[in-house]
Amino acid sequence: MRKSGMAIPLWLLIPALLPVLVFSVAPLFQGIWLGFTDYELGARETRFIGFENFRYMLEDRQFWRSFRVGGVWTVAVTTGEVVLGLMLAMLLNARLPGQTLARVLVLAPWAIPPVIKGLMWRLIYHPDAGALNGALISLGMIDRPIQWLTSFTWALPAVIVVGIWSSLPTTTVVLLAGLQAIPGEVREAAAIDGAGAWGQFRHVTLPLMWPVIMSITALQAMWNFNSFGLVFVLTEGGPAGSTRLPMLFAYEEAFQFGNLAYASALGTVMTLVIGLVLVAYMRTQFRAAQGGTA
Amino acid sequence: MNRTPPLARFAMTIALWTFVFFLAFPLVWLVLTSFKPSAEIMQRGAQLLPDTWTLENYRQALFGERILQTAFNTFRVAVASSLLTLAIATPAAYVLARRPGGVNKPVVGWILISQTFPMILIIVPLFMILSRLGLGNTHLGLVLVYTVWSLPFVLWMLRGYVRNVPVEIEHSAAIDGANHFQIITRVLIPLILPGLVATGLYGFINAWNEFFFALVLVKSPELQTIQVNLARFRGVEGLARWGPLAAGSVLATIPTLILFGFLQKGLVSGLLSGGVKQ
Amino acid sequence: MRTNRSTPVLLALAAAAALLFGSAAAQAPVQLRFVSLAWQEQAIESVTAVVDAWNAQNPDIQVEYQQIDWGSIHDFLITSFETRSVPDVFHYESRAIIDFGGRGYLTELSGVLSEDMLSDVVPGAWESVTDADGNIWGVPFLWESLIVLYNADLFADAGVTPPTIDEPWSWDDMRSAAATLTQDTDGDGQPEVYGAAFGLRAPVNRILNLSVGFGGDFFYQDADGNWEVRVGEAEQQVLRIITEMMFEEGTAFPDSAGLSGPELFPGFFEGRYAMLPGIGVWARQQIVQNAPEGFNWGVLPPLVADTQEQGSATQTLSIPAASPHQEEAAAFIEFLLDTQNMATLAQGDWLFPTRASSFDLPEFQTSEAGWDVATESARHLRLAAFQLVPNYTEVRNRVMTPVLQELFSGRITVEQAAAEIEREGTRTINR
Repeated sequence: MRKSGMAIPLWLLIPALLPVLVFSVAPLFQGIWLGFTDYELGARETRFIGFENFRYMLEDRQFWRSFRVGGVWTVAVTTGEVVLGLMLAMLLNARLPGQTLARVLVLAPWAIPPVIKGLMWRLIYHPDAGALNGALISLGMIDRPIQWLTSFTWALPAVIVVGIWSSLPTTTVVLLAGLQAIPGEVREAAAIDGAGAWGQFRHVTLPLMWPVIMSITALQAMWNFNSFGLVFVLTEGGPAGSTRLPMLFAYEEAFQFGNLAYASALGTVMTLVIGLVLVAYMRTQFRAAQGGTA
Repeated sequence: MNRTPPLARFAMTIALWTFVFFLAFPLVWLVLTSFKPSAEIMQRGAQLLPDTWTLENYRQALFGERILQTAFNTFRVAVASSLLTLAIATPAAYVLARRPGGVNKPVVGWILISQTFPMILIIVPLFMILSRLGLGNTHLGLVLVYTVWSLPFVLWMLRGYVRNVPVEIEHSAAIDGANHFQIITRVLIPLILPGLVATGLYGFINAWNEFFFALVLVKSPELQTIQVNLARFRGVEGLARWGPLAAGSVLATIPTLILFGFLQKGLVSGLLSGGVKQ
Repeated sequence: MRTNRSTPVLLALAAAAALLFGSAAAQAPVQLRFVSLAWQEQAIESVTAVVDAWNAQNPDIQVEYQQIDWGSIHDFLITSFETRSVPDVFHYESRAIIDFGGRGYLTELSGVLSEDMLSDVVPGAWESVTDADGNIWGVPFLWESLIVLYNADLFADAGVTPPTIDEPWSWDDMRSAAATLTQDTDGDGQPEVYGAAFGLRAPVNRILNLSVGFGGDFFYQDADGNWEVRVGEAEQQVLRIITEMMFEEGTAFPDSAGLSGPELFPGFFEGRYAMLPGIGVWARQQIVQNAPEGFNWGVLPPLVADTQEQGSATQTLSIPAASPHQEEAAAFIEFLLDTQNMATLAQGDWLFPTRASSFDLPEFQTSEAGWDVATESARHLRLAAFQLVPNYTEVRNRVMTPVLQELFSGRITVEQAAAEIEREGTRTINR
């Protein structure tokens, strides 16, 4: 009955499909292809040079360094936001005083444009005028200002804190939605069985939440690895490349030095890295989840 | 139901409000800074509240720094792209929601893939394509890019909304002789209007906040978006330009904050309704 | 290219979307877009004044003045060239425009400029914008030299007499003066007053220019024209002096690796640093404008290394090849850089004009705000070798800046830095 009455024509997809093909799929393939050429800004002609760009990458210290920074950043920010996000989601779900207000305030950073998030934190981290040094000095914890964003020791940790801050609301909201989907009876049943708070968390909440946690972790890890605007505004990758995420590195290569082909090759490698890590992650998590529930 | 000991509850409350402080304080600091005179901002030993409150920073930001113009540019691009996204996504969402299997798989696959590849891979060819079409350095080019960029999520959400509409309504419209176009415009759109609004606002915020494409694709200062303007605004470090910059940042955040206030609930439920049905 | 096949479809799409969007109508008078890097308040004022004067005199050629900052000009220009949505005249520096010229982005100017301009601007400045084939890619209009700013009250308190133009200090004199000037009043091992402070956030150009006095060129070309980076004894002098003052003698502020030049001023005004050695002449404007009432300061002549010579780049105006109004743009440049206007711009930025006739004007010879000492230092400027290196920008940003930042943070030694710069620098040039 459905089929005869309602054969919905596929051409209705075309208006959406066409721009996607032209502005997303086609450039994607062209971008991959460019990575195998010697294309530079202003170049009159382009040659196919096989894996030369990828070979150069192997001996390019800046490349290794930036991917290492990207790895540290991705793991630290993703772990931080998921762990803290889970804690925060549980607190927000615990009927504590001021819960409604807290829920609104917690969302605040979500709405703020990444550029402004970066500017905001530069004001917090500013060595002389910043709130952080101001507070630490008046508490007597330090006696001279720390150069948060320009010192080798502090820049990466400082940037990671901002990264966690920035994506914590999204993660929390998703996790909170997951928590609310757990029926109250399940936990009560566990409580009646004599499970303590930790036991409830360990044996009821965590297994039920696992699929949500797994997918938000994977998604955020991808976004974090490809992150650009926030760190661009905070440090532009400095000092001496110690916060230069892969995207910033590729951006510099492309639009400061004009090495467009090399930048494209970097993009391909980034995609491969993300893809491989995700597949590996999904596999282990899938196994762990099976093991856990079995 | 609530058997947590009072002491633990107290500790939890403290923990909750520590989180809130951590998340909300930077915004508070930005707003307060925007009301401080330049000399006070750069003073060593920062103070929370301004000694003297001033609107000078806002005056400078509004009249001296192209904030208004770039805000208008961004608004234009964001409105156009979110409308265009809805226009092309609604029929597509209709197809996807009502034709299970078949086309759904590749589309969902693409939605996921589009989240994984870094923008650098796409920006160089995109830059070339747009330049060749004469759309480099134009708002129209940016609108098209933003449209394509928010399409995956918008499709995902809209498909969820369409699925919540009982299919019988469409059947009876079809029996009355309505064609597919009429079913979409007269039946479906009124029914999913709240969802369309929420999704459109999502597209708007996406475009308003976007930085990377705007940085690379738009070059003329008079066409710049507000994010690029603010990021470039710093100029030379250390000079007391933080006041107007803070004021400009507050102004640029207000629209998205307000919209998020409206959206908050709808967005979360939309996200879930799209996902849960999967 | 690959996208040609989809072009018709795209055009249809574009047309459809154009309905949604009004496009701006073309204006009748010629519109020139002029991108300027002036950033100090006074410099912006003088550029605006000169542009307004042009617009009043030339109703048919209206110039729109746009400000952009040094940090973003490079990627701004590179992408503008590629999209062909270029400014008609832009302000930048000699080093970069030779690169751009070689890539075909710029209009060659030797046939376009007036005889007066070509003969009045000093030959050394022209050298900085001329490539190996004799093409001129821009008009050099501002020079900068590096001087030493000092706090006169701290000098008097410590009993240090500032040197004169005729008897300038050597680097060693500066170093021992810094030791005398450093004070640790509460004896906690952290001085309240440092003899000197260097802003070392973007240190490369400055280090290269200062090293010229020691005969350190960093970049060397062999007979076949291949470039190589060498960091020998001559090149290591300045690096050594700065790091030793910061980390061994404790006479220079040690946390300055993250500071840019302008960020030194709050501390300089508060009397935390007695000298700012190797800072650009432009910095005097910051003092005149922002120093607290009664702040007592002066300019010391450039320090003597083996010689008093310094390297220098020039700031330039160029016309992109893609500009549709090249003739009008050239006329505008001639106006902007005539004797009087060039002097106005130079004064606004507190730098030196490149025209001999502007340089001789009385405003550059007065003792007020240290102009006489500063002007005198201009005699020691010469073209540094790095000016001629292709991909210099890439070598600087990818290799030298990070390595020097590590050096000045005390994380590596001068020898390690030298080895790293030699190896990676040479590799990057020949990429």
